[in-house]
Order: sequence, then C-alpha cells, then structure tokens
Amino acid sequence: MIAFDSIRKAFGDVVALDDVSFRAEDGKITGLLGPNGAGKTTALRILYTVLEQDAGAATVDGFDTRRERQEVQKRIGALPDAHGLYPRLTSRENIRYFGRLHGLSGAKLEANIDELVTLLSMEDIAERRTEGFSTGQRVKVAIARALVQRPTNVLLDEPTSGLDVPSTRAMREFIRRLRENGASVVFSSHIMQEVAALCDEIIVMAEGRVVASGTPNELLEQTGKSSLEDAFVAAVGSEEGLS
Amino acid sequence: MSMSVLSPRTRTVFAKEVVDNVRDRRTLAAALFYPLLGPAMILFMIYAVSQISKESEGPLELPVSGREHAENLIAFLEQNNVTIEEAPADPEAAVAARDADVVLVIPEGFGDSFTSGKPATVELVVDDSRNEARQTVSRAELLLYAYGRQIGDNRLKLRGVDPSIANPVDVARRDVSTPQSRAARILSMAPYLILVSLFVGGMYLAIDSTAGERERGSLEPLLINPVARSELVIGKAGAVLLFTTVALVETLVGLSLVLNYFPLERYIGVRMTLPPSSLLAILLICIPLMVFIVAVQLMIASYTKSFKEAQNYISLMLLVPAIPALIMAVLPVDESLWLVLLPTVGQQLFINQILRGEAVTVTYLILSSLVTFGAGVALLAVVGRRYRTEGILFR
Repeated sequence: MIAFDSIRKAFGDVVALDDVSFRAEDGKITGLLGPNGAGKTTALRILYTVLEQDAGAATVDGFDTRRERQEVQKRIGALPDAHGLYPRLTSRENIRYFGRLHGLSGAKLEANIDELVTLLSMEDIAERRTEGFSTGQRVKVAIARALVQRPTNVLLDEPTSGLDVPSTRAMREFIRRLRENGASVVFSSHIMQEVAALCDEIIVMAEGRVVASGTPNELLEQTGKSSLEDAFVAAVGSEEGLS
Repeated sequence: MSMSVLSPRTRTVFAKEVVDNVRDRRTLAAALFYPLLGPAMILFMIYAVSQISKESEGPLELPVSGREHAENLIAFLEQNNVTIEEAPADPEAAVAARDADVVLVIPEGFGDSFTSGKPATVELVVDDSRNEARQTVSRAELLLYAYGRQIGDNRLKLRGVDPSIANPVDVARRDVSTPQSRAARILSMAPYLILVSLFVGGMYLAIDSTAGERERGSLEPLLINPVARSELVIGKAGAVLLFTTVALVETLVGLSLVLNYFPLERYIGVRMTLPPSSLLAILLICIPLMVFIVAVQLMIASYTKSFKEAQNYISLMLLVPAIPALIMAVLPVDESLWLVLLPTVGQQLFINQILRGEAVTVTYLILSSLVTFGAGVALLAVVGRRYRTEGILFR
C-alpha cells in the first residue's frame, strides 16, 4: 500500500512535482501515465527513497520514506530508470548481491533466484557474465534483482522501454502475476495501450501535476470520451509525448 | 557507525567489491603488477650507479691532437691510466656532435714555449652543457694541472727553491662518497615509491566502486536496498583498503628481496640490509596512511562525474605528496613537527629514517599517525555524508 500526499519537489526553479497525490492499493496495478517530463520518474524516485520531496509525505505500508527510509526499502522492490548491472558478475551473482543486501542467504535466496529465473525465462543467461547483454536481457536481470526479496510493493519505471514485442508481452504477464500475489504495483509508462491493458488504477500526469485519475471507466466518465485514448489526450491536453 | 562496521550488509558489499574487482584485469594489474615497479626501479638505478662508478675507476680514453709536440706530457698521461687515442679531424665538431667527451689539442708551438720556460698552452675542447661528460673532463683537467705542477716543482728545485713556497694553500680533496652512499641516495626514493604503490593499489577499485558505479547506472539500484549509506561506504572502503594492503606488502617484499637477497655487493661493493623488524615498522607506519589514502580516493571518486574524471584527479593527487619529497631531495629539511604532522610527508620521513637505520622520534611518530588516521576518518565521514545526499546520484 503506497500513499503519496500533496508532494512537491523542485530542482532549482524547475517544479518537477506540484501537489501530487495518489494511492496504490495492494493487489492492484497502478499506472502513472504521462509524456516525458511529466514527473513520473521523480515521483517514483521519491517513493524508492533516492530523492526527498520538498513538501508533503510519501508512505509505504505506513512507513515514511524520509524518516523511516530503511523500513520502506525493506518493503519495496524497484526498477529504476537506470538498469546498470555489474558486467563482471553473472546474472545470478548480480541478483544474489541484492538478495544478500536484503538479508537473504543460503537455500532460501537461491530458491527465490531460481523462481525468478524461470518466471522471466532467463535460464540461458543466468550463469553468464552480464557484459554485452542485450537491453532485454539486462532488464530481466534488473527486474529479478529488484524483486528477489519478494517485495509487497513494486515500483517499475518504464519497465518495457527498449524491449522487443515478445519481451514486452512477457513483462506484462509478469506484472499481472505480481498483482495475483497480492503486491501493490506502480509502474510508469508513456504508452497509452500498455496502461489501458494492464492497470486497475490510472494516474494521468502532465507537467508535474495529476490531471486525471481513477479506474479506466471513471476516466471515461470524467472526460466524457468514448475511448481511453481520447480520454488520455483530453486529460493531458495534447497528444505530445504519448504513444 | 561503529555498529555497522561488521554488519552482514557491510560484509556483503565488501565481498562483492573484492570478487568483482579481482575479475577486472586493470584493477588486478594495478594491485599486483605496478607495486613491483618500485623495487625494480631501485634495482635498475643501483645497477646504473655501479656502472658510473666503474667509469671513474677505469682508464681514461683521451683523444689527443698534436701528440708529437709533447712526448713528455703524453708519457705522463699514459703513466696515469690514460689511453691516448687518435684525435678526430675536427675536434670542435666532434665534441659538439657528442662523438667525443673531450679532446686535448697540443698546438705546434708547445715544445718551443715549454723549453723557453714560458707558459705552454694546451687546449681542452669541451662542451660544458653536457652533464654526462663532466666527469671525463674533470679527470683530464686534473691530470693536466698535476703535470704542470710537477714540472713547476722540478723547475723550482733545479733553482734551489723549495717548491712548497709556491703553494701557500694546499687543497686536499677527499671524496667520501662511496658506492654505498650513492646507493643510499637512491634508496631515499623508496618512501615515495611506497607511497605511489599505496595510491595505485586500490585506485581503480576506489573509482570503479563509486564514480564507475554511478557512470554505469548501478548506483541508483544499489541505493534502493535497505543498507545504511555508511555501511556501503565502509564496505567499499574496506575493499579498497584490502587491495592497497596487497600492493604495500608486495612493494615491501620486493624491496626486501632487492636489498637482502639480490647480490648487491657485486654491483656496489657493499651489502645493504633491511631486517624484518624494519619491514614491520614500515608496515605499521603505513596503516594510518592507507586509511587516509583510501579516504582521499573515495572522496575524489564520490565527487566526480565519471571514471575518467576521477582517474585524472586521483593521478594528480599522486604529485602532491611528491612535492615535499622533491623539496627534501634538494633542501635539507629537518624533521620539524609541522612537517611531520602532514599526512604522507611525515610517513615518508619516518620510512626514510628506518631505511637508513636511523632512530625515529617516537612521539612524532605517534602524533603523525594519530593526525593521519584522524584525517582519514574525517574524510570518510565526508564521503558518508556525500552518500546520504541526492547529489551522489544526480549531480
């Protein structure tokens, strides 16, 4: 369960987030949709504790992201915009490193890794050093290491960006599975179809503000449009930056 | 912070950095190969010095033009370990072109002036800007003066005058420099070479685990894990410290091999020894220094944007401790307290004293170690604070 209450964040004179509020319930997929520069990444970074807001409060399962950073970190798994891996370590070693930092070890840790390797169909790359991996392979390892501790709150920043069609479909399937397991999933995207196909709740953002939010049906009602696509465009104010 | 020193998370970070970097050829070369260059360099310079000493003891090869004009002088030179050689056609050109170090030119009128008792001129063609020829030139000069003086003394004696009356001041020059003392001067490079190995040993790891981690985009994912930033910094610092220690031990072992087991006496005529107790003392002196150097490297690497930038700054840092070393090489600097307290400077002084077998002032050593260690810990705290800010990722 994630709550984002009246968050404001500025970088110098540039206001990245202006009074942004939303909630992401357990067992639901919440999509942050908006063009580049809307503030999606900044919102996620505040949630996964590498940025601090100027005003407002963000909580994960009731723990404050600023005051109880480590408690929050224990409860989230996050795929940041940066997918950097350690090229001299194998996929398994990359994943194991993060698992250990979460306090896992031994058979339990290896079982978690094995499960993710199967789920993400990465048997062929699991024991290979990650140097020279394709974007798709890299994202798989990055996702696996982010989720090796089986977090109940999952934050994914543009998880399908750069993936080919089969990988994208697999990723969407994977996100649905996380929901089935009861996790609260927040992911950001600038792809309308993707958000429409996956999300239970949609937060439409533009220029650092939430311009519309709700279930797909509620969004249609709010905007008076017949398709979600038209609803998004109406909410954002232009088609620019969406696809 | 003290609680986190040995936390499982700190150990995980430490182990990962060690494994990851052992697999990196560049890091491994820096830790294993570069530290051997110092002792190798010392060995080479000792060899070079021994060659120079040999030169000053061997016969002097002297090209002479017009030897037929001064047979007596030539005989004197030959008696004094000089091999007379045929002079080049154009002595000045030959010296300028470095074909000869020095050429002795005896003009035609030498014999006439000599027999009539007037000063007889000989010319030495030299190039004063050539350092390497200086020794040969001065040997030739000294021999010619000695010859002139011998003739003068004889002339006075023939006239019934005590020659010593013409020598109111007798300058006796005793060169106390020995191959050993020249070798000891080379050994005075050792403290700086040790310092260099301390910088180089963990340099790539320090950069890779900080600026490199940020550059390749793995720092942001890492920071999301439930690990205190201080635990990250201590784990990384520990790994850098391990590589630095390996480099130091290697340099010391190399140095002791050169001094204790290499047949130095064959080259410089004497043995120089470095007993195990001295090695241990140097190792202990270096412990606070290593903490300091690791901290400096991590700090630079945590404030720079890229691997390359960090590498540039850290390489520049290597020159800073060289400045006092260079000054000390030129000016005689006593161990004054303010100097000893400067991290890296004090340690170089102490190591030098130990290598020369001199006594180290224990109070100075303790103070210096405390200051250096304290400065290192303070710098690590700065790194820790840096890691707690957004700037570590985004600026």
